[in-house]
Amino acid sequence: MPYDTPIEEYVELAGGRVHMFRGGTGEPLLFLHAAGGAGTWLEFHGRLADAGFEVLAPDHPGFAKSDDFPLVEAMDDLVYHYLDLLDALRLDRVHLVGASFGGWIAAELAVAASHRLRSVTLLSAAGLRLPDHPVPDLFLMPPTRLAETLYHDPPPAPEGSAAGPDIDAVLAAYRDSTALARFCWAPYLSNPKLERRLHRVSVPALVVAPSDDRLIPVAHARRYAALIPGARFTEVPDSGHAMYFERPAEFAAAVTGFLQSSPSGPSRASRGGSLSGADQ
Amino acid sequence: MKFSFFHLMPYPYLPDDFDTAYDSSALTYPNANFDPKLGSALYARYLDELEYADKLGFDGIAVNEHHQSAYGLMPSPNIMAAALTRRTERARIMVLGNAIGIRGNPLRVAEEIAMLDLLSGGRVDSGFVRGIGWEYFAHSINPTKSRARFDEAHDLIIKAWTSEEMFSWYGANYEYRYVNIWPRPLQSPHPPVYIPGAGSTETMKFCAAHRYTYMSVYAPTRIVRRWFDGYRQAAADLGYVPDPERIAFSVPVYVADTDSRAHAEARPALEWLYHRGLKQTPEMVTPPGYMSPGSLRGVLMSGMQGFRTQSYEDLLAAGQAVVGSPATVAARLRSLYDELGGFGQLIGLFAIGPSTHEQVTRSAELFATEVMPELRPLGVATDATSA
Repeated sequence: MPYDTPIEEYVELAGGRVHMFRGGTGEPLLFLHAAGGAGTWLEFHGRLADAGFEVLAPDHPGFAKSDDFPLVEAMDDLVYHYLDLLDALRLDRVHLVGASFGGWIAAELAVAASHRLRSVTLLSAAGLRLPDHPVPDLFLMPPTRLAETLYHDPPPAPEGSAAGPDIDAVLAAYRDSTALARFCWAPYLSNPKLERRLHRVSVPALVVAPSDDRLIPVAHARRYAALIPGARFTEVPDSGHAMYFERPAEFAAAVTGFLQSSPSGPSRASRGGSLSGADQ
Repeated sequence: MKFSFFHLMPYPYLPDDFDTAYDSSALTYPNANFDPKLGSALYARYLDELEYADKLGFDGIAVNEHHQSAYGLMPSPNIMAAALTRRTERARIMVLGNAIGIRGNPLRVAEEIAMLDLLSGGRVDSGFVRGIGWEYFAHSINPTKSRARFDEAHDLIIKAWTSEEMFSWYGANYEYRYVNIWPRPLQSPHPPVYIPGAGSTETMKFCAAHRYTYMSVYAPTRIVRRWFDGYRQAAADLGYVPDPERIAFSVPVYVADTDSRAHAEARPALEWLYHRGLKQTPEMVTPPGYMSPGSLRGVLMSGMQGFRTQSYEDLLAAGQAVVGSPATVAARLRSLYDELGGFGQLIGLFAIGPSTHEQVTRSAELFATEVMPELRPLGVATDATSA
């Protein structure tokens, strides 16, 4: 059974508290969750920990048990937010893994601060604007359509409760979706400038796509792989965009296989060292 | 009591399979279903109706803003108001309102309302609305910024109207180095402001603090009562009793010579309004961040249901429409006046969905001649209640 006893902790930053799971021992691995994945430690996280990593899984600003951080308004602020978190945790360099929305943050962090990373792994990352391969509007989808879009093999819809909706659960979901919309309503789930900046990524990179991604077309992952210098690309069969919810073992294996095979020494490019005020 | 004739300018010609084939009359409802020739004729007819209401003695004629929808064909209410300024004499021209939450450039709104005020000889009332949920999709405006954009646009517009010195504006959402509008509005200090409320406590406090008119949107009486009480309480917290005229009750009204005729004609019109015109998915109603957590909790706890579950009879019973002969309508509005704790303005929707021009004008005539005089003495400030 994968590791399932993480520590739950809060990290104080200037703008509020970050809720975070921490589990396993080894090189630090910062995992940035997908839009729907806040506040949970799942089989997938446990398998990463089992492979010999200290897995750090924070909730993004405004998601689950993290504070709102109202001044973290857009993607550029999120990049500084995570650099602040690395500083607060006194982590010099981490393996960075991000899924979907978290994958977009990971790509932006790798562009801005590869010197704080040992590697970067993008699991069907959002972030690119490819008009020929549009991402359907998450915010307009009714729950059943959303499940059909996220899963290769959608789970049965939950039965309605006779007591009516659980108001606290509705409010919690609305808070997560509000936090997501803050960062990605328009431009929708993307930064039009990201493509032209990806050449700056200077650590080993892996791009993973589920074979049947109905939310973020696989063309996005292929574009990431083409534009990040030296990136590897792999596909996980029989999976939808829910990735680590639908195929936790396969996605964990893709990530840990890459991390265990790639050099995790100093970054290939040395730029940034003398300029990095954030480096400790 | 003051009475206004409010128009949504609906596009009533929905296809027979509308109920099963489409999620909504807005946002994603294909505009291939819009026939420009019919639309052009509708505009002419609808403006005639508003102009006729002026002649009938309504105190106000009202237009509003909606986007990408058959529910209402006025993406720019200011254009309709401009058309009305030259063809009406007496009635207030009420823009209820400009959706300043979704406008890219609020200074433009300040300029257009100032123009309308001059064109109308100082007859303009200026409503400000945030824009409803689907319009944040339609105009690609981040709904999590809705409240902040609304508040900042409001502050900027008021200052632009009232300042006689050029100023600079540096806000979270807007920056202008030179604000110096020409023309300035005719009314002093500026046109009266109306704000529709739908249960948000922020809006009640905002209206009370500025002494603006708080107007309801369509909802069951027990819920509208809670909104009006919230506004009265917000005023009490500030140490004053609002003039009844600052509270406006909006409701669809249909009058015919007899009750039976009124019901026969109003039923399909109201079913169109509530079941088709206002058909929306939950995702369109509350995009993320559009409501504050407190307001959303309030809505969920109130048990308010979607309009689609309400039959014609339910809508009448809940005070979401007033239908009947002149005597019946006057009596019903009197009882709603009591149930709502009083109000000083009635904003009536007389042109409902697919009602014909003859039906609308007859209903407005009967209301003006037989209902208005009955209700006129209600909701007037006395020395005891005057602010």
